[in-house]
Amino acid sequence: MYGFKVVFIPSNFLWLTLGCFLGTVIGMLPGLGPATGIALLLPLTFVMKPETALITMCAIFYGAMFGGSRSSILLNIPGDGSAVASCFDGYPMTLKGEAEVALAISAIASFIGGLISSIAFVLLALPLAKIALMFGPPEYFALMVLALTATASMSEGKVLKGLLSMALGLMVSMVGLDPQSGVSRFTFGNLELQGGIDFVVVIIGIYGLGEVFKNLEKIGRGEMLQPIKKKFGKIWITKEQWKRSLVPMLRATPIGFLIGILPGAGGTIAALMSYNVEKRLSKEPERFGKGAIEGLAAPEAANNACSIGAILPTLTLGIPGSGTAAIMLGALMIYGLQPGPLLFEFYPEIGWGVVASLFVGNFIAAVMNLPLAGLLVRILAIPPKILYPLITALCFIGVYAINLSVVDFYLLILFGLLGYAMRKFEIPTAPMILASVVGRKFEQSFRQSLMISGGDFSIFFKSAISVTLLILAVLSLVYPTVSAALKKKRHAV
Amino acid sequence: MKEKVLTVITLVTFITAIFGAAYPDKPLNFIAPGGPGGGWDTTIRVVAQTLKETNLVTQPIVVTNMPGGGGGVGLAHMQTKKADPYTIIVFSPPLLLINLTGQTQYSFRDLTPLAMLIHDYGAFAVSKKSKFNSISEVMEALKKDPKSVKVGGISAFGSMDHIQFLIAAKAAGVQNLKDITYVSFQEGEHLAALLGGHIDVLSTGLAEATTALQAGAIKILAITAPQRVSGILANVPTLKEEGIDAEFVNWRGLFGPPEMPDYAVEYWINALSKMVQTAEWEKVVAKYNWTKAFMPGKDFLNYLEKVNEEYKVVLKELGLYKGE
Repeated sequence: MYGFKVVFIPSNFLWLTLGCFLGTVIGMLPGLGPATGIALLLPLTFVMKPETALITMCAIFYGAMFGGSRSSILLNIPGDGSAVASCFDGYPMTLKGEAEVALAISAIASFIGGLISSIAFVLLALPLAKIALMFGPPEYFALMVLALTATASMSEGKVLKGLLSMALGLMVSMVGLDPQSGVSRFTFGNLELQGGIDFVVVIIGIYGLGEVFKNLEKIGRGEMLQPIKKKFGKIWITKEQWKRSLVPMLRATPIGFLIGILPGAGGTIAALMSYNVEKRLSKEPERFGKGAIEGLAAPEAANNACSIGAILPTLTLGIPGSGTAAIMLGALMIYGLQPGPLLFEFYPEIGWGVVASLFVGNFIAAVMNLPLAGLLVRILAIPPKILYPLITALCFIGVYAINLSVVDFYLLILFGLLGYAMRKFEIPTAPMILASVVGRKFEQSFRQSLMISGGDFSIFFKSAISVTLLILAVLSLVYPTVSAALKKKRHAV
Repeated sequence: MKEKVLTVITLVTFITAIFGAAYPDKPLNFIAPGGPGGGWDTTIRVVAQTLKETNLVTQPIVVTNMPGGGGGVGLAHMQTKKADPYTIIVFSPPLLLINLTGQTQYSFRDLTPLAMLIHDYGAFAVSKKSKFNSISEVMEALKKDPKSVKVGGISAFGSMDHIQFLIAAKAAGVQNLKDITYVSFQEGEHLAALLGGHIDVLSTGLAEATTALQAGAIKILAITAPQRVSGILANVPTLKEEGIDAEFVNWRGLFGPPEMPDYAVEYWINALSKMVQTAEWEKVVAKYNWTKAFMPGKDFLNYLEKVNEEYKVVLKELGLYKGE
């Protein structure tokens, strides 16, 4: 309760609102993420009181999570990795004319995911933070294996295509300087490729530009000269839609929250895993990918839960759970504050102030996003011949903003063409995206493990966590084949 | 006659335009060769901030992040800005290391050193539950079996965190430096890996170590500074105090592009030498637990030549040196 008093001090409240707004805007722009937003704001926060500064930074962080999915839903262009899963069913909903519902459920799911995680944060902060310590390189490796196989095998009957897509993503992630040996790989002597290929370039290429190419073909055939949508309804959902989404949201939240606590995992894994779980549990998995509302609600709840989970080890153990949290931690230190369990004892106004701001900020971001969505959805009224050139421009600007590198333009076009081809041949794109996001971590954790064990593979089977995760991974590969075989049998009888 | 007057006027205008207008007369470009929030980024941003606050530079300063290749991408970018007086970049030991290990063809000789500004140092930390209570114990264990202690850091293999530990190990008399396990963690899980017992020793920077120490979960065995530092780390011994004759300085300074014009070099040496004497600078240096270490142009270059040779020796021993 003390924390809420801190949050409702007018200046704190003002900054919280402003932070949420800024974060939403930053999240919407492809290429700009919360880490950049917070780093840019850092000098400004020097003049603030520490608790105000921290509250503002947190607000930007989850504001960006709210904003990131807007372009996924409306234009099929995810702003960052954690918004990729929102494309799968969000964009089909838009195409079906349900953009309002999609935007509404995304804000609602984000809010619920955030709210539940905030409560979990208050009740279980310390014991949960310990989970972060149980994950060493072998456990991370097992987690990555599970995330990859689960996503690759997601599309039933197309497991091989899924694995092909995953292999493409892994190839992309290998480009650049190898951190364990310092050797350049697949850079063709190009210095700018040494830093690796930024996965945001891959995402914007495959989804954004790929979508543009696909529509170019349609326009070339004389289809699609009308805007996607002309009439707009209220940004809200029906009771029936609410019923469908509630349980998925409740299931997705703990997944997102737990993955968020792990310093080496992130929003992309959280969102994709929760999507996988929903699809597996659904009685009608064939609806997924065609505009199923639960397929949007789950990843939205998960990625917000994840962002709050990431703050937890930062405050309680001084271990940042993500790049953004690392910058926040740096800021804490500038004020001479000690993160850790003692933070809440010595500086209650900061510890509890931040926690209270999680609740209030989530609410503000949700309230702010509903009317904003009403405005944004009107993008769809723009005729395609104007909309697609605009999207193309946006893709290029977004990519340039990441590294200010021209090489990224060529990569963007390359991935755009690849995205188009993958759509043509019905190769799922999700495994490739996930692999390009986590591929580096997947490979590094494998090699880190072997370095630690001196080349002994048994290190992967020594802890209960990694064994469980690996067994789940095997099951996820076998299950679709088995269940397809069973179905066939049943049909035969 | 009229034409002559006009010519003279035009000439005079041109001359004042070239020599008269005081440099700098347009916005300046500061580059951090790493991502937001890192050491380079922090340093160049606070320098820009301090120059502005103290009115030493009145032109707007734009800070741009250009991450990639352990700094190599920023270094390559500077090569395209030959003689440009408006672009300035920050660097530290990796500038030399990535050249020595062959990751980039460019070296510090392809930049114009303006001034060294600060020293930061390395720290070696273990988990609170660790059996090691001093850096000498770690080195003894390594002497018996170089595989027995697992070292981790944030830098890539052969870069700063790795090299600073090996410099210490070498001075302590550890043989087979090549056999020491070094694991690089670049996604922020290094502290969790240390506390969770996945690695034994973390080789890192003072700032990183300070945060973790305050959270109460680690012991810092030694720092690589020549003397003890103040503040919360005042109780931590230096390597020398532990009987290991080594130090490692994480120097940070500003550089111009190759062939930067003399007037610009002079301007910056002058502005920076004034900046390091201000109270504002004093404040930020204390805030980040840095040590003031101003060293202008030529001296800085000589210093770089010297440390370059030192790094070379260690890298050669590791088989990582890719030079002649």
